Amino acid sequence: MASPNKAGGTGDRPDLFTAALFIGFGALGLWAGRDLTLGTASAMGPGYLPRIVSWLLIIIGAAIGGFGAVRARVDIARPKLWPLAIILAAVIGFAFIAEFFGFVAASVWLLLVGSLADRDSRLREVILLTAGLTTFGALVFIIGLGVQMPIWPF
Amino acid sequence: MNFVDLLMLGFSEALTPTNLGFCLLGALLGTLIGVLPGIGPTATIAVLLPITFYLPPLAGLIMLAGIYYGAQYGGSTTAILVNLPGEASSVVTAVDGYKMAQQGRAGSALAVAALGSFFAGTVATFGIAIAGPTLSSFALSFGPAEYVSLMLFGLLAATILARGPVLKAIGMILLGLLLGMVGIDASSGEERLTFGAVELFDGIDFVVIAIGLFGFAEIIENLENVEARGILVSKLSRLWPTREDFRRAWPAVLRGTGVGTLLGVLPGGGATLASFCAYSVEKKVSKRPQEFGDGAVEGVAGPEAANNAGAQSSFIPLLTLGIPSNNMMAMMLSAFIIHGITPGPTVLATQPEIFWGLVASMWIGNLMLVVINLPLIGVWVKLLTVPYRLLYPAILLFCCVGVYSINNRIFDVALAAGFGLLGYAFRKAKCEPGPLLLGFVLGPLLETNIRRALTISHGNPSVFVERPISLVLLIATAGVLLLMILPSFRKTREEAFQEEEA
Amino acid sequence: MNQLIRNTALATVLFLGAGAAHAEWPADRPIEFIVAYAPGGGTDVMNRTLAPYIEKELGAKITILNRPGASGEIAYTAMTQARPDGYTVSSLNTPGYLTMQMDRKVRFDPKKLCLVARVVEDPGSFIVQASSKFNTLKDLVAYAKENPGAVTVGTTGLGTDEHLAMLQLEKAAGIDLTAVTFNGANEARTALLGGHVDTIGINVGEFVGNDHSAFKNLGQFAEERASIAPDLPTAKEQGLEVLMSSERGIAMSCDVPEEIRNRFSSAVEKALENPEFQAKAKQMSLAISYRSAEAWNKELPVRAERLGAIWKLAKEQK
Repeated sequence: MASPNKAGGTGDRPDLFTAALFIGFGALGLWAGRDLTLGTASAMGPGYLPRIVSWLLIIIGAAIGGFGAVRARVDIARPKLWPLAIILAAVIGFAFIAEFFGFVAASVWLLLVGSLADRDSRLREVILLTAGLTTFGALVFIIGLGVQMPIWPF
Repeated sequence: MNFVDLLMLGFSEALTPTNLGFCLLGALLGTLIGVLPGIGPTATIAVLLPITFYLPPLAGLIMLAGIYYGAQYGGSTTAILVNLPGEASSVVTAVDGYKMAQQGRAGSALAVAALGSFFAGTVATFGIAIAGPTLSSFALSFGPAEYVSLMLFGLLAATILARGPVLKAIGMILLGLLLGMVGIDASSGEERLTFGAVELFDGIDFVVIAIGLFGFAEIIENLENVEARGILVSKLSRLWPTREDFRRAWPAVLRGTGVGTLLGVLPGGGATLASFCAYSVEKKVSKRPQEFGDGAVEGVAGPEAANNAGAQSSFIPLLTLGIPSNNMMAMMLSAFIIHGITPGPTVLATQPEIFWGLVASMWIGNLMLVVINLPLIGVWVKLLTVPYRLLYPAILLFCCVGVYSINNRIFDVALAAGFGLLGYAFRKAKCEPGPLLLGFVLGPLLETNIRRALTISHGNPSVFVERPISLVLLIATAGVLLLMILPSFRKTREEAFQEEEA
Repeated sequence: MNQLIRNTALATVLFLGAGAAHAEWPADRPIEFIVAYAPGGGTDVMNRTLAPYIEKELGAKITILNRPGASGEIAYTAMTQARPDGYTVSSLNTPGYLTMQMDRKVRFDPKKLCLVARVVEDPGSFIVQASSKFNTLKDLVAYAKENPGAVTVGTTGLGTDEHLAMLQLEKAAGIDLTAVTFNGANEARTALLGGHVDTIGINVGEFVGNDHSAFKNLGQFAEERASIAPDLPTAKEQGLEVLMSSERGIAMSCDVPEEIRNRFSSAVEKALENPEFQAKAKQMSLAISYRSAEAWNKELPVRAERLGAIWKLAKEQK
């Protein structure tokens, strides 16, 4: 990870971000579990522990945020959106293509699109790699290990 | 017949050419699926089950067992090389193993893992042979109250696992607990935190979270930091551990074997807990706890030994009582039943050749695995010199297929992508994902057992202190907690953290 | 086009008696058999064992596809949404199939799901440790009458067959038992062996098929003694009205022509009669009990009504 830039001021940004994540998930847990029966400590309902855990998460998040806010300033390593977006798109695309068009199409999509994430990729290598890995995958996973996915769209 | 006669009987059964052949086949197949991330032994064995119909009973069982422990060997390879734990037990191996690989010590880490596993496998196999019935009665004494105390201890161990601030580690554990609660609550039948998605009724699969948080997030981060991944390629590593590595690893292997053999017997989360506990033990007894998380060889040796010993000893309840302790063992039980053999005390008496043949084959299989794996280390290390632009698409494909194969549905793949995003966010927030996974695995066990214990005691919480094993575990938990809160200990933690940042 | 009309006409003439307009089924591609449970479980192993014998009878190829999750709901949804051409069948287990409809709004349309053949009917039963003071259900009832709530019963969750059987027993005998939930029969069995619960509910097939030297069976919850356990008295024989069994069978979409469904059903019937299969079934302690599509469809509503009444009990108790 890139070394944090130490600029002036206060606020540990990774900690503040952590606090936001924890509080967010805690709130989400409370919201999603709002209709569950609580019960009592001796006869716990399904909602008892989720609610306790959600509140604890919020408290911990707030504590991290509180300490982080007064600490010396640390910045978050700058995110690059390109690899993130490309990898996620490649994977989700793989999922849907596999469902409707089988393994070969999905694998080709995943490898071709996935390769865009790295600017070093060379076209010729990518094509060879795609062909090789797709064949390997079809043979080893689907024929060899019996993964239940059609190879072809039909 | 005495013990030596029985063991000889076992070896004479296991050493027939057919059985040797199927043992080798199983071990090879297991290594293969272990190395491929996400593809677990459960699915493979299920596919092979009907085929074993046509094999002699012992040969079929030997092969299936070989796949199981072979996969344990293979699993650590991916964890060390590309930071991709395929199952709960290799999460810990990834922590220090991957750091070692980044420092150019991949060969050393792999060799320690293989040798440690072999040693642990040998001890655990003899443990099954000598003390199987005794160990299984130990397992039976674990009721709901004992599990609650054990899980609390395990969760505490998770905070030791993490580097960095304790608060963040606790938060990650809590988040893991929350994720573990997703699904239909068995004792009330209510849907919890599923957002109405029918795919979430049975909860989230471990592999989905592990591949997302570790696999996908790691790839995205590596693509972001072009400079960082150069290190991986430039330092060509030595293949064999140094004398110093050996000296530090062997006590860790011994301790890991003990922890693993004992905890592996416990039904449910036993084998998973084993590697986590072994890691905490190592970090606690080490004179250099600050090195943990930064490529400490003990951090690979201990958990790897524990994980393999646990895998072996999880056969004990199945073979001696006829009760499978996890999904894999349930599959083995199906394999027995297909052949009309019902494992348990009766088989032990009436068909000793099955029990002892299987036990002997496990030792032979472990030996084969070491022989197969040690020369392979060279190949694996070479793999690291493949440019990352060629390596990551392959990892991506293996991860996607692996996640899909758990339940044969695309929902899980999309969910894993979501966890990839989350894992990326956690890296930006400097939060370690390890504790989250442990919370996720132990959370459901903790909750169901708390509720079970209180139902049985009609709401009386004193069960937790009235039962001796539970009491001892609770005292141990309190002791460790005290150690953590004591100022002197906190200081070492902070020092470790400072050093890491420097 | 002409050719097509001529062929269709020819086919219609040839098969008028049998009414087989789908002459090509089932040979032109593999039949996808969706198993609603994970690989390696009881339902999966049973269907994988049976499939080759159905293949033989139909002259078709069958590929098994596991779609586990939500007690079968995911598989039933996938099956009812598939093209209704007879190339997609699914495993179906009761009482899960019935209780899920009582408990929640399901994602599939139960009216679109037609039963094709029942393969197994496995009665429930209660077992205790071999050293237990109970020998029959009567002993257990007598003890529970004197000590309300003291007897703990391991089940695998609310609304499962063991749980519903327990509720029936409570009502029939006027006693009060305590249900303890486990994740699956194996966990429950471990807890029973360790003495953490007094008794657990288990299917007779699971009891007979495993090493049961450490257990005693108190009685089976069937109308008549199951073929795999002829020596085990039923609850009825002990004067207790408890009826609970789990069924495993095969279903198809109702949009599949009835004639195809019936052909599949009779292929299953013949496969079950194959001595080779029967030998395997015996090894696996499968309580084979065939019902044709028609017979099973007629029986199910009766079963659903009985379950509904117990289910209401469960909800009131909560």
